[in-house]
Amino acid sequence: MNANEKLVLALPKGRILEEVMPLVRHAGIEPEPAFDDSKSRQLRFTTNVPELDIIRVRSFDVATFVAFGAAHLGVAGNDVLMEFDYSEIYAPVDLGIGYCRLAVAEPAEMVKSDDPQQWSSIRVATKYPALTRRHFARRGVHAECIKLNGAMELAPTLGLCRRIVDLVSTGATMKANGLVEVETIAEITSRLAVNRAAWKTRPKEIGGWVTKFKEAVDALAA
Amino acid sequence: MENPSNPGLLPAGLSDLLPPDAGFEASVTERLIDVCQAHGYQRVKPPLMEFEDSLLSGTGAAMDRQVFRLMDPVSQRMMGLRADITPQIARIAASRLKSAPRPLRLCYAGQVLRVRGDQIRPERQFAQIGAELIGSATPAADAEVIVMAADALGYIGVADVSIDLAVPTLVTAILGGAVPPAAERTLREALNHKDTGALDGLTTQIGGDLTDLLKRLVLAAGPADDTLAAVDAIDLPAAAAAEWDTLKAIAAKVRALAPTLPLTIDPVEHRGFEYHAGATFTLYAAGVRGELGSGGRYLAGNGGTTAGAGEPATGFTLFTDTLLRALPRPAQGRRLFVPAGTAADRMAALRAEGWITVAALDDGADARAEARRLGCTHWLHDGRPAPIGEA
Repeated sequence: MNANEKLVLALPKGRILEEVMPLVRHAGIEPEPAFDDSKSRQLRFTTNVPELDIIRVRSFDVATFVAFGAAHLGVAGNDVLMEFDYSEIYAPVDLGIGYCRLAVAEPAEMVKSDDPQQWSSIRVATKYPALTRRHFARRGVHAECIKLNGAMELAPTLGLCRRIVDLVSTGATMKANGLVEVETIAEITSRLAVNRAAWKTRPKEIGGWVTKFKEAVDALAA
Repeated sequence: MENPSNPGLLPAGLSDLLPPDAGFEASVTERLIDVCQAHGYQRVKPPLMEFEDSLLSGTGAAMDRQVFRLMDPVSQRMMGLRADITPQIARIAASRLKSAPRPLRLCYAGQVLRVRGDQIRPERQFAQIGAELIGSATPAADAEVIVMAADALGYIGVADVSIDLAVPTLVTAILGGAVPPAAERTLREALNHKDTGALDGLTTQIGGDLTDLLKRLVLAAGPADDTLAAVDAIDLPAAAAAEWDTLKAIAAKVRALAPTLPLTIDPVEHRGFEYHAGATFTLYAAGVRGELGSGGRYLAGNGGTTAGAGEPATGFTLFTDTLLRALPRPAQGRRLFVPAGTAADRMAALRAEGWITVAALDDGADARAEARRLGCTHWLHDGRPAPIGEA
């Protein structure tokens, strides 16, 4: 990081990107044309704001870029923020997009005979091992986590383990795989993430963007 | 698997400092101590280890999970390796120096060891340099240590130092014990991350008015003038207003002592300051990842065997790991290769002129090549220092 270097805004690839762009544009940021070109292999983009660039990275990596100050601002779901629990990240604006929930699910036939209150230790497949372990430890359950990066729903049917912790939006994928939600861990939305040292050392600029994003959320919600 | 038999492998978070970094760390430490001593802070040197209960009393309690422990075979009591030096200074002030005149100004430098680093700061061992002002509760005392810390950083060459002021007791005063403990933990986490979305999620448990108040405080963080205006516009409960007035008084004193020092205020910052008893501050430098140091108000000698509330105290601690990352690497000194047989008094005279002398131990064939091989900048040519030049 340099005192006068450009600010970097990290945006997540994939489903959230479409939802977040109206907010980004409402905040007055218009990326260069290559940003919307699906064939472009570019990773860093200039914008109409001379002192701000955009990078596009995986949603989990947004948190890491912001925590280490490689990006000053970012958009990340609170699932990702809670998983890493980086002390260097502030999440001052709830962007009100990417609504879903993080839930524990298990096969439908298991639910009948299973009482979550009686668990003492469980094995779960999840993309969120730290968050899952913390959540269960708080209610006195030891969770042994198997880290998967996708297709969690397959784990119970193929006998990898019986329970999963995953994001649910409509519940259709769960249902299609014969799974039932038994416990909600957290409601998820995307947040504007800010690097702590950046906010403290460049308070006018960063504070300005926080205000603009908050105004964009209010304006688009109205 | 890493090969455990490789002698170069050190435990995670521990490293060898090599030239020039080791020398640089030492000189940075000494220059910082010089600034503290010039301000009337006298140096003390507590031991590396002490009994666990005294190490973890007062503000030391925050370090509970970071302390390496071992059993003292002599006393059969548990000892801890210090993870923070401030509690040791507080202990000294409350015991051996309890009759020394107040305000008591002490400074220190030493290594600390922590059980774990984190991803941002992987080091488990690093040096702390700090100063403590014990026995005064006035805003002038807070301002003195804040401005001295900033001065010291400027003196060793850290550019664009800024101060973030906070008062962790403000939120405590606002909550006033009225929030159920289960909700309070979630609330503190939300405040630590300035997560307004998570605060919204607590509305049903803590009420809409409190949620709105806390959200306004979160978003008020920023440049001092903006924050002062924003928080002044909020109707705070009486106990919280008193905390806020203290912070305002300190900000005004800092402004008076150092009008150009960039100052931000964070009304909800609490992390790392759980055991502090009033205004706290964190030192940043533009473009540097992480904090260079921090400090604030605590009560010295309020734990352990000492009864009572303890003495008002404030101080700061700087961390060498972040400091060394923030500073440009030092310029290499002028190293002079001296052929074998040069008279001792001639070499002493050269050193007195500021040369670093590297003596040949035997008559090499090519003194200039030898000088280059050993990383010297100059060689003694015809009795006079000459640059070795390009190869």
